[in-house]
Amino acid sequence: MEGESLSTRLRMNLRAVYARASVRVKASFRERSWLLGETLFPFLSMSAFVFVYRGLKAPREYEGFVVLGGAMIAYWNNVIWGMASQFFWEREQGQLQLYLITPASRMSILLGMALGGMAMTTTRAAAILAGGILLFHVSLPLDRALPAFGLFLLTLGAAYSLGMILSSLFLLWGREVWHTATILQEPVYLLSGFYFPVSAMGTGVAIVGSILPVTLGLDGIRQVFYGHAAHGLLPVPWIPPIQIALTLIFLFIAAITLRYMENLGKHEGRLTVRGD
Amino acid sequence: MSAAEAIGRPVKRLAQVLRTSAWLGWQVEANWADPWIFLMYAIAKPLATTLILFFMVRVVSQGGATAETFRYIFIGNTFFLYVSEVLIGISWTVFRDREDYETLKYIYVAPIHLLPYLLGRAFTRVATSTLGVLVALLFGRFVLGLTLGVPETNWLLLLCAVVLGLVGVLWLGIILAGVSLVVARHSMNLNEGLSGLFYLLCGAIFPLDVLPRWALHLSLWLPFTYWLELLRRMLTGRGFAASLARWSDGDLWWILALATVGLCALALVWFRWCERVARERGLIDWKTNY
Repeated sequence: MEGESLSTRLRMNLRAVYARASVRVKASFRERSWLLGETLFPFLSMSAFVFVYRGLKAPREYEGFVVLGGAMIAYWNNVIWGMASQFFWEREQGQLQLYLITPASRMSILLGMALGGMAMTTTRAAAILAGGILLFHVSLPLDRALPAFGLFLLTLGAAYSLGMILSSLFLLWGREVWHTATILQEPVYLLSGFYFPVSAMGTGVAIVGSILPVTLGLDGIRQVFYGHAAHGLLPVPWIPPIQIALTLIFLFIAAITLRYMENLGKHEGRLTVRGD
Repeated sequence: MSAAEAIGRPVKRLAQVLRTSAWLGWQVEANWADPWIFLMYAIAKPLATTLILFFMVRVVSQGGATAETFRYIFIGNTFFLYVSEVLIGISWTVFRDREDYETLKYIYVAPIHLLPYLLGRAFTRVATSTLGVLVALLFGRFVLGLTLGVPETNWLLLLCAVVLGLVGVLWLGIILAGVSLVVARHSMNLNEGLSGLFYLLCGAIFPLDVLPRWALHLSLWLPFTYWLELLRRMLTGRGFAASLARWSDGDLWWILALATVGLCALALVWFRWCERVARERGLIDWKTNY
């Protein structure tokens, strides 16, 4: 009986994951202006940074650093605006309460958002990479693509787990969400070394920046593709276990904070507040 | 009523609208945090982008990049903050008022016009951008050790150049606000993309000469290209882009002034047209959020 109940719950939660993910994927392709806005325009900003290195007559690998960083920015922005801030949007639109009255786990909803967000953002990141390769002739050695891809998947797992924590923290906020999300952009681009090897800031600062999974992930991927030219921070073999550990720790913290913030929201009656 | 009164009353009324909407803008933008947190928020972006560029230059410094090169990049990036913040801020006001606060329609039942209201609302963005620019300049001067200004630098003239460019940004913002009146909220990223396009084409952080020829031609049509070059010349005594070397400082002033007047005229006509279309189609209280 208990086993049946467990399998029923599992099925229900898997359906919730699928439902939340599919909404995100379908919506992202239905709105054409989003496709344009999330591929072409970030590509333009990234291109400006490629031209900085070109203007400085830097070795060509540096342009590759920027293109890889540009692709990773697409995911980080999705973590910030599509994961962390999502419950704020849902609350503003009156949908948060619908999630809360379903028997599905909130973690399933967040997992669906994460998987859908990854799928959606992959099209954007792929466009940025393709643009970088075709327009700037950035070289990405394909024979090293598999280990880089593995590292990339581990990085996404950790980054979206961090997004789940932020999502629960942002749950009760009003306009602060906008500003906090904004503040998690450029300063994080700096701290994670999206446009330059993170080790350039010095080991101490770079280690602090490594609390963000994208920092070490990007550092490792650059090392896989460009070897010593990437000015790596940590040896590549160290990075996968760190990313796995970060994922597990972040997921654990997310489950606790989500429950805590939801209860707090219920006690303070803030889960249905709109226009704050 | 005397002639002075006839002129004075509308001007006084305009000043009242600008002041009130600026106050409202300040409340919307700034009262979510205490002043120190808001200050940190206002300076985080300019300092972060400055440091990103600093480390980019430093990491390739063995390739011949110099502090002089960084100085040009720094100036362009710092003053571009006005474009990215103010330009987007004005059009974003339309979406926020129309769809989040649902107050845009109330502007029409009040004895004011939308255009001065939006200009007043832009004040907060101008103020926070100015703060960001000033902090970034001080950071560049005292932390990064950059030399800003040469003996020939006329600081009053520099201020005039900054204001002239800023006025151009404001009118371009009004053009985008007009667009925002007739498009759905999710088209906002197109407006944001325009900022990215300018960042690339104006040569804010690199010499224009590295752009492909077709992009360089586009760049020479943008007033902010000349604005940033003028500011660089005033602060360093020399130009940055070889492609603009044929223009004297006086030419840059003329181009910038004419472009600003042109943007103003275009913005007035365009905004009025967009406003009429929005009212005809019932878009003033449109809600497109999803």
